Amino acid sequence: MSEPETYEPKIVAFLCKWCSSAGSDLAGVSRIQYPANATPITVPCSGSISPLYILSAFNKGADGVLLSGCHIGDCHYIEGNYLARRKIYLIKELLEFVGVEPDRFRMSWVSAAEGAKYAQVVKDFVADLKPLGPQDKLKADRT
Amino acid sequence: MEKILHKERIDDWISALTGWEVLSPALEDGIWAYRPVSGAVRLDHPNTTQPPKGLAFPQREVFFSFEQIKGEAPRLTQILPDTVQRAVFGVRPCDGRGAVRMDRVFGDHVEDTYYQARRKNVAYVGLACNQPPSANCFCLSVGGSPVSTDGLDVLLTDLGDRYFVAAVTETGKALMTAANSLFDEPADADRQQLKSVHTEALAQPQRAVHNPDAVPAKLKASFKSPLWEELARACIGCGICTFLCPTCHCFDINDEVTGSAPLKGNRVRTWDNCQFPDFTMHTSGHNPRPTVGARLRQRVCHKFQYFPENFGMPQCTGCGRCISECPVGIDIVSVVNKVVEHAG
Amino acid sequence: MINVRDIRDAARDLLAKGEVRAVIGYRRGSRGMAAEPVVITAPEQADELVWDPTCFHNLALYLVEDRKFLAHSRKAPGAPIAIIAKGCDARAIVVLMQEHYFKREEVYIIGVSCEGVGVLDERKLAGHVPGTPTDAAFEGDDFVFTTPEGEKRLPAREVMADRCLECRAPFPKEHNVVFGEDKTGRELAAPFAALARFEEQGATERWDFWRRQFERCIRCFACRSVCPMCYCDECVVDSITFPVAPETTADEKANRIRWIERSAVRSENITYHMTRAMHLAGRCIDCGECERVCPVNIPLRLLNNKMEREARERFGYEPGASIGAASLVASFNDSDPGSFIR
Ligand code: SF4
Ligand code: SF4
Ligand code: SF4
Repeated sequence: MSEPETYEPKIVAFLCKWCSSAGSDLAGVSRIQYPANATPITVPCSGSISPLYILSAFNKGADGVLLSGCHIGDCHYIEGNYLARRKIYLIKELLEFVGVEPDRFRMSWVSAAEGAKYAQVVKDFVADLKPLGPQDKLKADRT
Repeated sequence: MEKILHKERIDDWISALTGWEVLSPALEDGIWAYRPVSGAVRLDHPNTTQPPKGLAFPQREVFFSFEQIKGEAPRLTQILPDTVQRAVFGVRPCDGRGAVRMDRVFGDHVEDTYYQARRKNVAYVGLACNQPPSANCFCLSVGGSPVSTDGLDVLLTDLGDRYFVAAVTETGKALMTAANSLFDEPADADRQQLKSVHTEALAQPQRAVHNPDAVPAKLKASFKSPLWEELARACIGCGICTFLCPTCHCFDINDEVTGSAPLKGNRVRTWDNCQFPDFTMHTSGHNPRPTVGARLRQRVCHKFQYFPENFGMPQCTGCGRCISECPVGIDIVSVVNKVVEHAG
Repeated sequence: MINVRDIRDAARDLLAKGEVRAVIGYRRGSRGMAAEPVVITAPEQADELVWDPTCFHNLALYLVEDRKFLAHSRKAPGAPIAIIAKGCDARAIVVLMQEHYFKREEVYIIGVSCEGVGVLDERKLAGHVPGTPTDAAFEGDDFVFTTPEGEKRLPAREVMADRCLECRAPFPKEHNVVFGEDKTGRELAAPFAALARFEEQGATERWDFWRRQFERCIRCFACRSVCPMCYCDECVVDSITFPVAPETTADEKANRIRWIERSAVRSENITYHMTRAMHLAGRCIDCGECERVCPVNIPLRLLNNKMEREARERFGYEPGASIGAASLVASFNDSDPGSFIR
């Protein structure tokens, strides 16, 4: 199924505006080398993520979905990431429950100062996704 | 053409149907459904949860795909149904009559290319109902019968250790001729038994619509009856009754976009459902059938008044599925009876 | 054991005194032995009410309908509305009040305890009774069916709904009046037993199972329509997912997000069901209605049970336990699991 030589997993990365998005910018301006597989989508807060966004990304063909926000205690909206932690735990459990590979979904805390960490998160994610091959369980089968 | 087929030969008959994909009822995941035959066929099913309607009118079908490269004219590619011939075994007479009604809808006034292309490749090998397969059967009230051949290509009648096999159409004859040597000529005793089995089948107790001939006029007079809201009070507005119906045929057409650069996608037809609250919702937000009562009235009057007015026959074929499966006991037989009774 | 006369007397009395404007209950239906939901408004209708093993419906749904009707007609509610509620139904009513769908004083809960049993799962009946039964009754720990061949008595647990076997709270804690004994803790089967059995399988088997289920769904939406918690006026799966006003442009309409296509294919069905499971997390009280009504037998309870058990084990959350509690996904604890986050 997987094509280790040529296969490049597509990642949809939901990044909170205040921390992780700034963190990814920092990775960019600091010229840190990391894979270009992630398409970032800036969201106001990790807590603003609806599980439907994640399912929809998989439906539209994402091989992996990343959600990243501010570290606990640092949320611009005080408690958005606490709420995210709970909600996302549930969707993660549900995805695994129906048999989706756990490595297809990832969550991280990346601050605006952690460009290097963001690069590492993406690098690790890509490495974990490659052996899984393309995601077709949740992908639209409407041909 | 009338023949006798010993039951143990039915599998040989099916194997002899080269060029046909054969389907028969199978109990899978707790429900009876038409499935491609694998292994021995024993026609001992109640009715299937869904009628075989979907073979000619699938819940989803693609009409054409489209693609537009910026600055160029859109390219359309028509997608026609496959041409596999399918023979369905064990179809109950009510579902055969369902097909007759579907054929009228998609053939009388306009010929629906997609429906017709599929329909001409489907053959129905029916099975007479010696016993009503459901406690909610009422085919006798809607002009049908447990031994009706309408819409079927072949009718099988269970005579214990053998079937009485009667061809109804040319296609039916062809299906039988494909395995000529398996069939025997019926003896007088067989014919006699057939007659008595059919007589008994017709005498089985069923649910009943009272005074069916008066129904269309009485419904017409009851359009504004307050009874509709009352009878629909428990209705939850789901799609069970119509999605399981052998004659419901409403559909919706949507463009499903599958890519944006270049823009591409499919134009698809899917079943729609008059019991869904958004079925008649206008773009303005106005909804001409705003209540469960108005929607129940639509379903009942379409089956028992409008269709008879348009096609000279009730649309409902009395399979009883909508009664058996309604989550809250909305029962088309008792609804019709109550409205008619109320109309005086 | 509950005497149906007590329920009728209570309903008649409430209506006669004008203490409630209607009673939502069960009456004999015309489909076989099954009861059907009914809303009665006059004292003399109280005699129509029944209480038997086919009273499986969660009537809380009709409180939602009533609320919507009132809102739409801009009528003042006046007297409260009464409802007959089993343990699970009462938990549903609690969730609705917790979400401020209506106030406690607007509902009069006539509680009925399931005592040692629960309600019938009609699908389990096949092979247990001859012919089509015409009546069902509670008798201690048994159900008694009237069949064409006479009375047939069965131990209830052989044909009871799974959710009832696993029920932890067969008594409506929240009530104005209640009939029947509180037998909470009766333990007919371990809670989450079916879920635990399912989870013994590996990921590949689980996917094969769900793929099969989701491919079968015909998107009749009975599961959503029957659910008292699915009260949204607009659901993500409907074609109307945003209000269209006269000033809405054609472009806006064309570009609206269609989260889930109408096609009943696996990918769209799975998005529907997983979204629904998420929206029910911490809200589903396991009345099992979605699973009961599904015409193609999709075991939807498993999805909701999974969320329910996670909420209980990870977050100590019990849906339908308290009107004043914060909802599961609108609250958090410092100790919530976070080790899955990098
Ligand atoms: S009549 Fe029954 S099956 Fe039909 S929409 Fe109403 S509740 Fe659903
Ligand atoms: S789930 Fe519990 S409360 Fe509900 S019907 Fe079953 S036993 Fe009764
Ligand atoms: S009730 Fe069953 S078939 Fe209908 S939408 Fe729900 S899961 Fe699908």
